[in-house]
Amino acid sequence: MSDEKRFNILHLYPEHMNLYGDRGNVLALTQRARWRHIPSEVMVREIGEPIDWEAVDMVFMGGGEDTHQARIAEDFLKIGPELASRLRDGLPMLAICGAYQLLGQYYKTAEGRELPGVGFLDVWTEPGTTRAIGDVVTQTSLPIVPESLVGFENHGGRTFLGEGARPLGQVALGQGNNGQDGTEGALQDRVIGTYLHGSLLPKNPHLADLLLKWSLERRGVTDSLEPLEEEEEMAAHQTIVARSRNS
Amino acid sequence: MSFRVLLAVLAARLAGWISRLTGRGGSSLPGLVARRIAPQVLTRLSQSLGWGTLLLTGTNGKTTTAAMLRHVVEGSGRRLISNRAGANLILGLTATLAQAERWRIFPRADLAVLETDEATMPRAGQEIRPRVVTVTNFFRDQLDRYGELSTTVQYVARGISFVQPDGVLVLNADDPQVARLASGSHEVIYYGLDAGAHVEAAGYDALDARFCPHCGSALTYDRRYYAHLGHYRCLHCGWQRPQPSVAVERWSRSEEKVWVRIRGEQYVFSWRMPGIYNLYNQAAAIASAVALDVPTATIEERLASFRPAFGRMETVMAGPTRLWLALVKNPVGFNQVLGAVADEAEGRQAVMIVINDRYADGRDVSWLWDVDFEYWVGRLKVDRWYVSGIRARDMAVRLKYAGVPKDLVVADEAVVSLLTRATREVGEGTLFVLPTYTAMLEVRQHLTQMGLVKHFREG
Repeated sequence: MSDEKRFNILHLYPEHMNLYGDRGNVLALTQRARWRHIPSEVMVREIGEPIDWEAVDMVFMGGGEDTHQARIAEDFLKIGPELASRLRDGLPMLAICGAYQLLGQYYKTAEGRELPGVGFLDVWTEPGTTRAIGDVVTQTSLPIVPESLVGFENHGGRTFLGEGARPLGQVALGQGNNGQDGTEGALQDRVIGTYLHGSLLPKNPHLADLLLKWSLERRGVTDSLEPLEEEEEMAAHQTIVARSRNS
Repeated sequence: MSFRVLLAVLAARLAGWISRLTGRGGSSLPGLVARRIAPQVLTRLSQSLGWGTLLLTGTNGKTTTAAMLRHVVEGSGRRLISNRAGANLILGLTATLAQAERWRIFPRADLAVLETDEATMPRAGQEIRPRVVTVTNFFRDQLDRYGELSTTVQYVARGISFVQPDGVLVLNADDPQVARLASGSHEVIYYGLDAGAHVEAAGYDALDARFCPHCGSALTYDRRYYAHLGHYRCLHCGWQRPQPSVAVERWSRSEEKVWVRIRGEQYVFSWRMPGIYNLYNQAAAIASAVALDVPTATIEERLASFRPAFGRMETVMAGPTRLWLALVKNPVGFNQVLGAVADEAEGRQAVMIVINDRYADGRDVSWLWDVDFEYWVGRLKVDRWYVSGIRARDMAVRLKYAGVPKDLVVADEAVVSLLTRATREVGEGTLFVLPTYTAMLEVRQHLTQMGLVKHFREG
């Protein structure tokens, strides 16, 4: 791989899987790359279209309605093995909500049907009795400052972590993965699965930059990222952090 | 008459009187009290209406369409009950009927026109057994409340199953999720846009329902008016947009007129509220009036004298400054409002956006990222963006990532002080004010205190 600076993000199924402003994450990543004069492109891929994996520096996939999720599931399982092998190889990915569930071992629908996932993340999802809806604040173990991540969750499934996956964070506010063990999201290699919408990355710029750094490192670019002014982002971040103190 | 219903109605009015006296808007308390005393009170009261009830539901345009329809029906000389303050949950509907009269228990009105929340449709349908149901459209709106779009469609479908056998459905032909609601057992009046000219789709719209509701294949659009509204067909199973019997054929912004074909004959109506989505609202109101047998001449006359409700694209003078107000609540609506700002504005503009995240606004502000600011920032010539409300900072971030320079954005959570500052800075120009629902209430309260808009009773 050449060490030419570049940030190409593969956005999987933006038409089907973009339920709660998840495209905001792609906007945040590409803008933060461009502000640093790193050429950045969004590669959009819908069902059945080919993927030029060599051009991909990071993968993003968002959440979708159950009916839309069912429509892409077959295609996603088809590209699953190729995707999983690249993720194991260190390709960074951010998977939100439905994508997080689909990246796991299986998920059970509210009707009790067990649907297979791609099986990369060592997590599985069971149906919940009520939807988990509300603001979320977590403390992450990732090497970023601040340690807090904020967002908004809205999911019916309850996700549980196996031994292969670490939690992305511990909840200080909200339900997180399952409302029982205090965890939120999953971390495995350089893949982050999470229930956080919000959109997540615009108000967690430190997490956006970590993903950007991972993507560049994979291309051999190891110099640290030029710092950006982020007063607005952190003010939005603090609006939600303050809610965990008052809860 | 059952004693319980009598008691329920009287208690509701007393509760309403007390809550108004204590200065609370409280439009749900009377409904709560009445239903506690007599759970069947809504059924009993609605049964006494001579003609019956029209329930109006859908994501966008309920309030505007209901206001227009009310104005038209009132012109036909029939007595009408309606939830004017937009209290559209089951308690609000109950309160509206319980408080319709002063001295009598049962309403004397011929009919009720009730704006109804989508999730309330099953219950409202079951209790009221409506004569007509009008459905505007389905967009992603406040998903944190209902979960997902298909759930919302199912709620409305269940509500429709309670329409009386001789009843009528008024459906938007251009929205596939609405058109599919035709049950086969009820007469349907479809409305839609049949404009010859191609309308340029403005900006990115969050696409919601582009799949055939019957077979799940992607729909093909011959023409698209906005988002997923247009002329669609399914190449896989052959299902397609039904032919509307109330069809908007042409419109002119400069003449403020719209040409509508109703059951084969063309009429010209006044059209005051800009934006394609207001054409749909007006078409929905006309089709509903047709379903209520209002004569066309009356529709024509009444639309000429219709004025939009506060905050639904209205202008108010605050000293030398013209305030142009429009509610924003979801991506599609926000894109449409920004389009109307672009149409309306001459020269440079100042825009104030107020984002709250209370329950009525939707607690999740993710949807701001589905609004196509990237497109509009390049087309609007905004000198200054004022962002306010509980989530002012999220809005500031949204503008930053859309490429708005930092020195053009003023952020302050306090609505009144920022509005005051913005008005002062704009001076003799126009300030476009775009708030979410509860933010609009704050703006309205402030303008009322300044004596700029008349106070009106809510509930």
